[in-house]
Amino acid sequence: MSIPAELRNELEDLYAEYADALDSGAFECWSDFFGEPCLYRIVSKENHERALPMSLVRCESMGMLRDRALALQKLNVYGPRAWRHLTSHLRATEAAGHIAVRANFAVFESLHDQTTRVLVAGRYLDKVVRTDAGLRFREKVCVYDSALIPGSLVAPL
Amino acid sequence: MERTWPLQGDSRVPYFIYTDGDIYRRELERIFEGPTWSFVALECELPAAGDYKRGFIGETSVFVVRDAGGSIRGFLNRCAHRGVQIYQHDTGNAGRAITCPYHQWSYDLEGRLRGLPFRGGVRGKGGMPPDFRVEQHGLTPIRVHARSGAVFATLSAETPSFEDYLGEKMLGFYDRVFDGRPLRVLGYSRQRLPANWKLMLENIKDTCHASLLHVFFVTFGLFRVDQPSKVRMDETGLHAALISERGRQEVNEGTTQMQSFKADLRLQDSRLLESVREFPGDATVVMHTFWPNLILQQQSNTLATRQIVPRGPNEFDLHWTFFGYAEDDEAMTQRRLRQANLMGPGGLVSLDDGEIIARAQDGFRKAGAAAGVVEMGGRDYAETDHMVTDVALRAFYRGYRKVMDL
Repeated sequence: MSIPAELRNELEDLYAEYADALDSGAFECWSDFFGEPCLYRIVSKENHERALPMSLVRCESMGMLRDRALALQKLNVYGPRAWRHLTSHLRATEAAGHIAVRANFAVFESLHDQTTRVLVAGRYLDKVVRTDAGLRFREKVCVYDSALIPGSLVAPL
Repeated sequence: MERTWPLQGDSRVPYFIYTDGDIYRRELERIFEGPTWSFVALECELPAAGDYKRGFIGETSVFVVRDAGGSIRGFLNRCAHRGVQIYQHDTGNAGRAITCPYHQWSYDLEGRLRGLPFRGGVRGKGGMPPDFRVEQHGLTPIRVHARSGAVFATLSAETPSFEDYLGEKMLGFYDRVFDGRPLRVLGYSRQRLPANWKLMLENIKDTCHASLLHVFFVTFGLFRVDQPSKVRMDETGLHAALISERGRQEVNEGTTQMQSFKADLRLQDSRLLESVREFPGDATVVMHTFWPNLILQQQSNTLATRQIVPRGPNEFDLHWTFFGYAEDDEAMTQRRLRQANLMGPGGLVSLDDGEIIARAQDGFRKAGAAAGVVEMGGRDYAETDHMVTDVALRAFYRGYRKVMDL
């Protein structure tokens, strides 16, 4: 069932703001897009299709999202780079207790000293809920297409 | 270019071994295609007849398949007709026959050529010559060896038995994880790193770096120089195991020297580090480097094989297979999945490694006769009961130089 245009606009804003937050490096705001309880996973298409439970990244609470954000900002060692998240083909349907959202994503990575490359492309399979603070992710599953990650996967998708 | 090892010997590692094309070709011939066993699969990836797993020995594509009798066989991943790669997927089921899509040459699961279209011609015309013998055109078999759940393969007839190759001491570490219990694959991660393949093995043998580079390890005491640790090696120095016990987040003589130690840092959700002891003994970490292409990882409750696939001197792929045991309960599986956040291409610890070895490779560019220094812990090769040492690197390069005549 299609959703009202107003809700669709709200969802478009949510995804745009989410991409902006990640691309600006404001990882400390990452968990603000989620509402407890929450689940965030990055999973390869291969694992997803074969129902293998391993995730490349798996955060089971807002605390785990914040821990990873802190690690990326303060603890991990990686070369200077920029990211650009593109989200498209957003499709949303009302489901029991949440809005099911599917969208395509592509993330470009620009390493210092290198030309821009595609880091990953894939699909978001998300559950969005309305909270007092606005729309929030209850579940965000990022299924990436390639069997190979070029280099390391640093930023969240 | 002069390719002479520095006079100081194994306490120096010349940078040309990471970038030189001739050295790389010699490595493929003498190491990967030579008398070594390469990891290719876990047995649980091939439960049924016809199940196959593709793998690599150096750059050579191979596959292992379970035959109708239940044995695992290995072949070059190349049709005997025109050389086409038979399998493009990493895993699958061959059905009753292994068939090349190009001209449909069809082999049984034992690798024998069973049939090919138009062999007898069409309407009396064409076809293969009368003296064509299918027996002479089977798939090229390779030696395989399965032990307690893992499968290895070799391209050389000279390779010693698997047990002799690994030696009793290293078999002990192998059997610790591959203890005969059936395994269960939890999932795969793969990444392509712009660095020389040896840097991945070095990274595990370089015991000091974990206490300095990996703030996550250091701060939460998962792997740190002030903890009880051991370095164990075989006679060749090529295989090694780093063994350690988890410590506490405490300020002491070791941690005060680590800029990266953060005494006041706390995880908001500490479930990430909650682990249970599941192996005999005190060790909570055993990182086993298995010459030439495997790292067997046991860090707390996260178990993985990391398979190295070289792609020229400046690049390699790293294939991670995360696994547990078939008998694991749900809580243990959840622990393994949660702790996997530390490892892999996006691991809170491992991403540092992928980044730093790429940066090392950048540093080697046009390095001429320059060499790295591996003198921590002295200049000898004796096993240690601590990890403030480069001994596993020195022993490794002593073994490497013998194989490579360098």
